Amino acid sequence: MTEKVPKKLVVPCSGIGKVHGLLGREAMLELVERQHPGDFDTVCLALLVVGDPETNAKIQQQPCITVDGCPKACAKKNVELAGGTVEHALWVVGALKRHRGVNAGTGTALSDDGWEIAAEIAGDIAAGCPDAGKKE
Amino acid sequence: MDINPKVGIICCSGEEIPAGTVSRLAVRRVLEVLRPDRTVTLCLPLFLAGGEEEREFARRHPTISVDGCGKLCAKRGTEMYSGTVAVSLDVAEILGDQYPDLHRSTRQKSLDDKAAVWLVAERIAVEVDRLLGGDSPVTETSDQAATAGCACSQPAPAMNLEIHGQPVPVNGLAMIFEHLRDRGVAPTEDSGEALLETVRIYHPVPEEESGLYREALLRAYQHFWRMT
Repeated sequence: MTEKVPKKLVVPCSGIGKVHGLLGREAMLELVERQHPGDFDTVCLALLVVGDPETNAKIQQQPCITVDGCPKACAKKNVELAGGTVEHALWVVGALKRHRGVNAGTGTALSDDGWEIAAEIAGDIAAGCPDAGKKE
Repeated sequence: MDINPKVGIICCSGEEIPAGTVSRLAVRRVLEVLRPDRTVTLCLPLFLAGGEEEREFARRHPTISVDGCGKLCAKRGTEMYSGTVAVSLDVAEILGDQYPDLHRSTRQKSLDDKAAVWLVAERIAVEVDRLLGGDSPVTETSDQAATAGCACSQPAPAMNLEIHGQPVPVNGLAMIFEHLRDRGVAPTEDSGEALLETVRIYHPVPEEESGLYREALLRAYQHFWRMT
C-alpha cells in the first residue's frame, strides 16, 4: 500500500494593484482547478493574516509554494510567520522577464498573453523546479 | 487636515472561494470606474509583510472592508494591525443565494459572476458616498494612482461622449455598455432611457442636458454593438 502524499499548498499574494497579483492568483487556480487538482491546493492568504488556527495548522503540515507579485513578498512572509515551510518562492516578475514587452493585462483581467504566462507559471510550479521564476 | 479625503477599501481576495474573487473584482471596479478619485486600497497581507506606513492605512482613511465570507478576515486583519473599519461588507451576505454560478477564476466569467461584481461594487460605492458626506460622484478623470503602498490600479480609460460638440469623458463607459449588453439591453431607441439612468449612477448628468446625453449614449452604444 502506498502512502498518500500530501497536497502541496500554493499560496499567491493576489496583490490587488497590478497585473502581477492576478497572474499569481490565476496561475494557482490553473494548477489546482485544471492542471493538477489532485496534487495541489490553496488556502486563503487572508486567513493567515488573521492567524486562523486551522489554516495555520494546515500550513505547518504541508509543503508550501508561494507566488509573489512584488518585492514586499507578502505570500512568502505570511506563510513563514504562520510557521509554514516555503519549499519554493516564485516571483511573477521573474516569469515576466521571459516575456519582455508583452502586455499581460491588468489587475482586473488578463490578456491572452497574460493567460499564457499564468499557465507557464503553473507549469513551473508543477515541474517542481521553478528556477525561471526566482527572484534576482 | 486632509482637504481631499479618500475612503480606503481593503478586500480579502479569498483564494479558496468564488466570493473572494467577487470581493477583489468589485473593489477594482470601484477604484477604476465608480469612484476613482475618492478611493484608495492596500493589499491586506501588507499589514503583516509591510511596515508602519502600511499599518497607518486605516488611521489615515475611513476604511471599508470587503470580505468574501463570514470569517471577515479583511475586517479583522485591518482592525488587528491598522485601525477600526468604518464599514464592514460581507459579500456572501450581500449576494445571498441569488447568484449560484460563481467561479474563483476570472477565466470562466459567467453572467452570475458579472452581476455579482456589479451588485457588490455598487454597494461599496454607496458606502463611499455616505462616508464622504453623500456628495455626487466626481467627474474628472484622474491620472493618479488610486492606491497606497504597492497597489497602483488606475482608473479605467474613459470613453468620450460628444455633448455640445465637446468631448466629455465618462469613466468605464465601455464596461457599463458591456454590462447592459450582457443583460440583454438592445441598442434601439427604446433603450435610451435605460442607458441614461445607468450612466447617471456613475456620472453626473445635468437635468437640462438629459436629452443630449440620451442621444449621445444611444449613438455610442450602437457603435459599441457594431464593434463588439
